[in-house]
Amino acid sequence: MNDMRKIVLGSVAGFAAFPLLLVAASAGRPVWEVLLVSVLAGIALAFVFNASNRSIANTIMSGGAIGVPLWALIHVVAVPLLQGMGTPLWSADGMRGLFPLLVGWVLWGAAMGVLLRLATGVATRILGPEPIRAPANREIKTRILILGGGFAGMSTASHLEEEFGADTSVEITLVSENNALLFTPMLAEVAASSLEPTHISTPLRTSLRRTNVIRATATSIDLDAKSVGVSDARNQWSLPFDHLVLALGSVSNYLGMKNVEQRAYDFKSISDAMHIRNRVIDMFERANRESDPAQRKAMLTFVIAGAGFAGAELAGGLNDFTRGMLADYPQLSTDDLKIVVLHPRDRILPELSEPLAKYAEQRMTARGVTFMLNTRLNDCDDDSVTCTCNSQPMTIPGNTLVWTAGTTPNPLLRTLPPTVERDKRGAVLVANTLAVTGHPGVWSLGDCAVVPDTLNPGKTCPPTAQFALREAKTVAHNIKAVVSGKSMQSFRFKALGLLAVVGHHTACAELSIPFTNKTILFSGLMAWLMWRAIYLGKLPGLERKVRVMSDWLIELFFPRDIVQTTE
Amino acid sequence: MKPYRIPLIVCAIIGAAGGLIIMLSGLPSTLFGLPLVIWGVIFGVAFVFLDAREAKSPGAGMLWGIAYALLLWIALPAGLAARATGQTEMFSAARDHFPELVAYLVCFGAPLGIALGTLGLRRASSEPFSLSRAVIVGGLAGIVGSWAFGRWMEQVNFFPLIAGIAGSNVRETGIVLHYGIGIFIGASFGALFQRDARGHGSSLGWGLGYGVFWWFVGPLTILPLLLNQPLNWSADRGAQLFGSLIGHAVYGLIVGLIYATIDRLWLAFFRDSDPINRQVSGVGSRGLQGIGRGILASMAGGLLFSLVMIATGALPRVAQIVGGTSPVLGFFVHLVISALIGASYGVLFQYESATAGGSIMWGLVYGLVWWFLGPLTLFPILLGSPLAWSAEAGGAALPSLLGHLFYGAATAVVFLLLEHRNADWLLLDPRLAARESRMVRPLGTPAPALWLFVIGLGVLLPVLLSVGGGPGGY
Repeated sequence: MNDMRKIVLGSVAGFAAFPLLLVAASAGRPVWEVLLVSVLAGIALAFVFNASNRSIANTIMSGGAIGVPLWALIHVVAVPLLQGMGTPLWSADGMRGLFPLLVGWVLWGAAMGVLLRLATGVATRILGPEPIRAPANREIKTRILILGGGFAGMSTASHLEEEFGADTSVEITLVSENNALLFTPMLAEVAASSLEPTHISTPLRTSLRRTNVIRATATSIDLDAKSVGVSDARNQWSLPFDHLVLALGSVSNYLGMKNVEQRAYDFKSISDAMHIRNRVIDMFERANRESDPAQRKAMLTFVIAGAGFAGAELAGGLNDFTRGMLADYPQLSTDDLKIVVLHPRDRILPELSEPLAKYAEQRMTARGVTFMLNTRLNDCDDDSVTCTCNSQPMTIPGNTLVWTAGTTPNPLLRTLPPTVERDKRGAVLVANTLAVTGHPGVWSLGDCAVVPDTLNPGKTCPPTAQFALREAKTVAHNIKAVVSGKSMQSFRFKALGLLAVVGHHTACAELSIPFTNKTILFSGLMAWLMWRAIYLGKLPGLERKVRVMSDWLIELFFPRDIVQTTE
Repeated sequence: MKPYRIPLIVCAIIGAAGGLIIMLSGLPSTLFGLPLVIWGVIFGVAFVFLDAREAKSPGAGMLWGIAYALLLWIALPAGLAARATGQTEMFSAARDHFPELVAYLVCFGAPLGIALGTLGLRRASSEPFSLSRAVIVGGLAGIVGSWAFGRWMEQVNFFPLIAGIAGSNVRETGIVLHYGIGIFIGASFGALFQRDARGHGSSLGWGLGYGVFWWFVGPLTILPLLLNQPLNWSADRGAQLFGSLIGHAVYGLIVGLIYATIDRLWLAFFRDSDPINRQVSGVGSRGLQGIGRGILASMAGGLLFSLVMIATGALPRVAQIVGGTSPVLGFFVHLVISALIGASYGVLFQYESATAGGSIMWGLVYGLVWWFLGPLTLFPILLGSPLAWSAEAGGAALPSLLGHLFYGAATAVVFLLLEHRNADWLLLDPRLAARESRMVRPLGTPAPALWLFVIGLGVLLPVLLSVGGGPGGY
């Protein structure tokens, strides 16, 4: 309706203004030709400048100004080319020859401004105001509920926003226990006081503009009723869904060791990293006034259970941090300090190839980390850690234990009905479309899902952030496909490589060579620079990147902070 | 009618006085048989009726005034009067009427606009205005602009002529006077346009318009009067001073850009950094988004412009910037330059327009800006040649002027589409939509007058005053 009104008004105004062009046009030019150009240009003008909400001065000036490019486009370029002249008349001589038309077009534009404004006024009086476009249909037809605000959940929400754009019939809701996405690859640097805690966390609300973010805990899932029970500190309520995305991630698995569960520091969240950092500083303060050498050593012995990525990176970071702290505690010596890593296998970093794992172990050992391989943690108390090393029971005096040795999918998944297939760890088995078999509208990805590896039949995708990010894209695409009745796509992704930083200027990188099954290995400073560049690039948000870069820059010139923020 | 009584009386008197001055300056005292004093009264009265609501400040009023004066000249002396001489003679006749263009701008448009704007100031909404900020920031911008303009003045030995104002012919006196004038114009720029020049891009446009206006006021009018020389507003004199026109344009651009930069920093420090005033995205995020969208948008404009360059055979010359001569290399250099200019468009013109029409206009203004800065200024510098600030260079670069205009318009339209794609999401939340809309230039500023003045004169003056006829230039 609006468009039709604009066409009519533009045509009328163009018809009324065409004598100005006719006078300016050279003799012999057919009248109908000039009229047609005037009317078409008038319609275009009516569309690009909405005359209804502008003053007459505004429309006169806007119209006069638009006359100049119209003259250039039509008479300098288009007409000579259409007449077969070969080149436009854009030389100085050519333009001077077209000067009358330039005057004509500027005056035509100014006149059009007046005429369009008047015609719009008359049309408003006769037909009423231009009908305002009906507001977009706000009725919600599809509710997508995402459980989990980690890499998988947040990335799914982000891709869904891309997929559905401004379609208000689709509501996207994300439930997360935290209001920010933690960039876990840099978590060890927070524990080691190299980075400020908030700098590696991106608020979900600033990244997800059209997603309804709810900070709460999912407590129950009812697939039949299509609703999820959630709670926060005060309330409990339920959220309905048409599509449910399970991106709940994993929690620490203490393998039934109650003392360890109670006493060990976990290393999964930002608060875990802050607790570890504060514990280290606290131990240094206590050890500094401890006269008993054995007690002092126990206070300065930090035991880390597990030498996977998290354990090795934390050990490397803590080793650098604690050995640097000795400068501020002159009573303490390097002999008092011990970073001990317990690992049940015969080599650390099992995810990496053997040469790199060996390199990491050698470099970290040279820098002061103690590795106890083939060692299983059994128990702990406030003063010591008990383990079995090569089948021999052993006790390590130490007041601090950090657990990085095992995870299990979120326990909420255990409440799912038996019709939802799960593996022995409790992770949900999904098809290669990431849909949960037998439950249309339910999807799972990330650490809490077992995703078949399409490129390696019979195998499953590793539970890493790298895969979770790509799985999120597939889930979002497939939900859109289901909503719009199109075909789904299979998830297929080949790992790009692995990176681990294990100390100052010390890192390992194993990168895949595209289109081959080979990898290329890097270690040392080069790998360390690659680690920083790649993860800085992957850290979500420009602002966070700048903050992390500033932290790294400050660290070049000043020692790491040893301010204790909690008791 | 009653609220217009005082403006009508004031503008009728100023219009009549303007007509009288024009008659005294030696120009024909009548137009279509009517004395210019009467034309002045008519123009003054019509201006009040058309523009009383728009001229909310002296700066806004001046811009509306000179834009109407330009339109009046196009309609009457260059239009009706010149058309009466016949189609083929119209260009020559318009050139003969060039003195009226200067006269209308200086004696009608500017004084009427400033007067109506000053009267309008009394009833304008209380938009924040800081005279000290305007004068200090504008003065600083004027110094930098004067330095750039001074390079050309040194090249053509213009300083001794300027020194003549103080009865001297010493170069150093000319330099001091040149910087003094530059600081005054810069400070007046801040005082006149602080309310309207919202962002870097629009400030660049305002600067260009103000610089061109000062070419009419300065070397064509005040300088000869101060040197006790007769006024010479002819097109031939304009052609002789074509280099000075480009210098004024570049000076204005620098003043506009520096002014906006310091002004934005000022506002960022004293206002925007206050968390109460924060936007959804920070300046850094917005800037990066603008750069990305600008580069994407510039590909459309760059490819369009490359057609002009292929047709004029300019690509080998572009390749000379990196020491080559191949047209293919020139094409890639051109695309890189397009991307850089597009990125700057994204940063400078974010939130300037919410409509296709407004975007096209700002794109045209930016294209024109780069015609002055590119083929006439930076291109010769990069090739190690003297500045091409002459009527001959202007004539040779006319095909490139159109290329720049098309480039600007295409880039601006694609940029708007990319901006809208992002805004669609934001508009889902009415609170965010309201914040976003506050950042977009509202209706009611003199931007349309600026578009007509800058784009109109940006094409008219090179066509009227340039010398030579061959194609060429980047």
